[in-house]
Amino acid sequence: MAERVFITGIGMISAIGNNVEENFRSLRAQQSGLGYTRYINTIHQHVLPVGEVKLSTEELAELAGKPGSPEFTRTTLLGLVAMQEALQSAGIADPREMPAAFINASTVGGMCDTEKVYFDILDPEKEGTFLRYIDTLDCADCTQRIADETGIREYVTTISTACSSSANALMYGARLIRQGLVQRAVCGGTEALTRFTINGFNSLKNTDKQFCRPFDQQRNGLNLGEGAAYLVLESESLVKARKARVLAELTGWCNTNEAFHPTAPSPEGDGAFEAMRKALAMSGRTTADVQYVNVHGTATLNNDASEGKALERLFGDKVPKFSSTKPFTGHTLAAAGAVEAIYSVLAINRQMIFPNLNFSEKMEELGITPEIKLLEEYPVRNVISNSFGFGGNNASLVFSKYEG
Amino acid sequence: MKGKAYIRSCAAISPQESFSGDFAPQLLTLEGKSMMRVKEPDYSGFIPPNSLRRMSRVLKMGLVAALQCLRNGNTAVPGAIITGTGRGSLQDTEKFLHNIRDYAETALNPTPFIQSTYNSVNGLIALQQQCTEYNNTFVHRGFSFEHAVLDALMQLAEGNAAEVLAGAFDEITDEHFYIKSRIGYWKNGLTQPADLLASATNGSIAGEGSAFFLFTSQPADICLEGIKMIYKPSPEELQQSLQTFLSSHNLAPEEIDLLVSGRNGDAQFNHFYDGVEKRFTDAKTFYFKPYCGEYDTAGAFGLWAAVKQLEQGPEKIALLYNQFYGEQHTFMLVRRSVF
Repeated sequence: MAERVFITGIGMISAIGNNVEENFRSLRAQQSGLGYTRYINTIHQHVLPVGEVKLSTEELAELAGKPGSPEFTRTTLLGLVAMQEALQSAGIADPREMPAAFINASTVGGMCDTEKVYFDILDPEKEGTFLRYIDTLDCADCTQRIADETGIREYVTTISTACSSSANALMYGARLIRQGLVQRAVCGGTEALTRFTINGFNSLKNTDKQFCRPFDQQRNGLNLGEGAAYLVLESESLVKARKARVLAELTGWCNTNEAFHPTAPSPEGDGAFEAMRKALAMSGRTTADVQYVNVHGTATLNNDASEGKALERLFGDKVPKFSSTKPFTGHTLAAAGAVEAIYSVLAINRQMIFPNLNFSEKMEELGITPEIKLLEEYPVRNVISNSFGFGGNNASLVFSKYEG
Repeated sequence: MKGKAYIRSCAAISPQESFSGDFAPQLLTLEGKSMMRVKEPDYSGFIPPNSLRRMSRVLKMGLVAALQCLRNGNTAVPGAIITGTGRGSLQDTEKFLHNIRDYAETALNPTPFIQSTYNSVNGLIALQQQCTEYNNTFVHRGFSFEHAVLDALMQLAEGNAAEVLAGAFDEITDEHFYIKSRIGYWKNGLTQPADLLASATNGSIAGEGSAFFLFTSQPADICLEGIKMIYKPSPEELQQSLQTFLSSHNLAPEEIDLLVSGRNGDAQFNHFYDGVEKRFTDAKTFYFKPYCGEYDTAGAFGLWAAVKQLEQGPEKIALLYNQFYGEQHTFMLVRRSVF
């Protein structure tokens, strides 16, 4: 019998707060973190809203306890801040105490800093400290620096499946535990805003000049965001042995592929439907047991139509409360799955459903609308969290209240 | 975990004449700089012409090696598709960076951005084969392909899939060669593959390639019996891990009759290879880097070479040892079954 997998620690940083509690306070206060970038040099600076962490890279380095370390990119620093909180939250003083895994997720690694010096690197006439950034461009750099700071080293790797990356990192860590390869895995993702990704999504014409409006008839695209989030996963036997506090149980997961189009989901949401259906089946729960779905809800035309269809197909006329929290944080790409996993855990622990901001008009192709009010004292026991990405990658996770 | 899987088929695009499936190692003669490129096969039998025109180089390399592996294994739709790549499509990443600058962030073509996404090859394989099952991509230097393999083993052990397509791809570009040369990845002057191992200097020869494997739970001639990754070990820890790995498979060092070594001529890290190789003095040793060059996922070519050597025999048990610039170290144990 494979071990159950519990969440014993959470840590995060996003546009709505530098730790979990600040994030929770902003969610509860319905305070969005969207605005205009202060730190990215782009012609879209005053045009495209983003969810930027409200600290300069220097301030982040202070917060992470690494001042004056230019080889620590913004991506790494965001991750380090979230990692430190996650370990502390799990009551882990020294991660070296046992073999553990660090499964990270990233879409463009240290591009945030590398893109500023890329053409200097290419210029043989130029020498200087920027040469230290050369190796930070790939996705492994941030993972290894965070791993080395904490001392986690049994399994160290990085997943990149676009916007579903950190959901897949959580899945992979949970599977390492169930296969008995480790008893503890810290999983999640880190993502810094870059000129590269802002221009990438803008060139695809799916960024909104207004604040994003998930599941709204007038929605017109996403707003990018940045942040990092990690969850400490532990086996049931480890939890019992060290009497760890359990925040929630990761009871189900599924990864499917749409095999439909490189950057667009199928109109009927086939991949989303299968991912949710199979994750729920694995969790041993039925559709009636789900009180809340934290949807992917990017506010792009395609995603919301397709994900909405999948919800209607799976739940029929009994679709549970659902909301996209991306109007709070922006779409944090590789970090999104883990950011929203933590919001799902908070929904369970605080018995609360967070509102879908900026919604006003029902989509004509759907019969359902997202929850737009903050619901407190709401009996949340099981939550589905969705993350879908380019390449047809779909991932759904099921979080359940810990019942001993 | 039952950490074992059979390899029903494989395919590789490399600087060698590997795509046909035979492997007669040939040392190339390089011109200009210490960098080798793959011999690209004719892609037209695999990809419709319209798609072929749009696809960048590593996408073609990755997709076609994957498709050839499936053909070789007589399978159209595997139960999972898992890849590893250290760099993804460098050509597209570079192009988009240049376009952002050259066109001052306006009127950008999104294609390079889409293709630069690390999981784009995975998506293409799934799309072309209409595979809606598990799909994952690892992007971690010398642990990219290796985690794809571990994930494949887990998928089989979990019973989620009976056949898993797992592989890796990486390309080298002139621009990236230059960038990495600034921090000592490559030999300073032109070094020929024939002289690579004897060179007592830092750096290696840059390479590239794509290799895929169809892992199954159904018995086949070649079996991957285990994999062990070790992150940033000391020489002593590496020795300890090797010993534990062998004994966990009930093997004594003298039972290994083929050592496939990733030795790459880089004087900074030769000591790791020295330490491992001296344990297997009776084994035949095959050094694969002179044939493929050094890159994040060269371990995939190493596994392909191990499979090909075992197929030809007479060796039966191969140990593959590879490491990437001293940080990510991996052992794999491959055996030819006796039926």
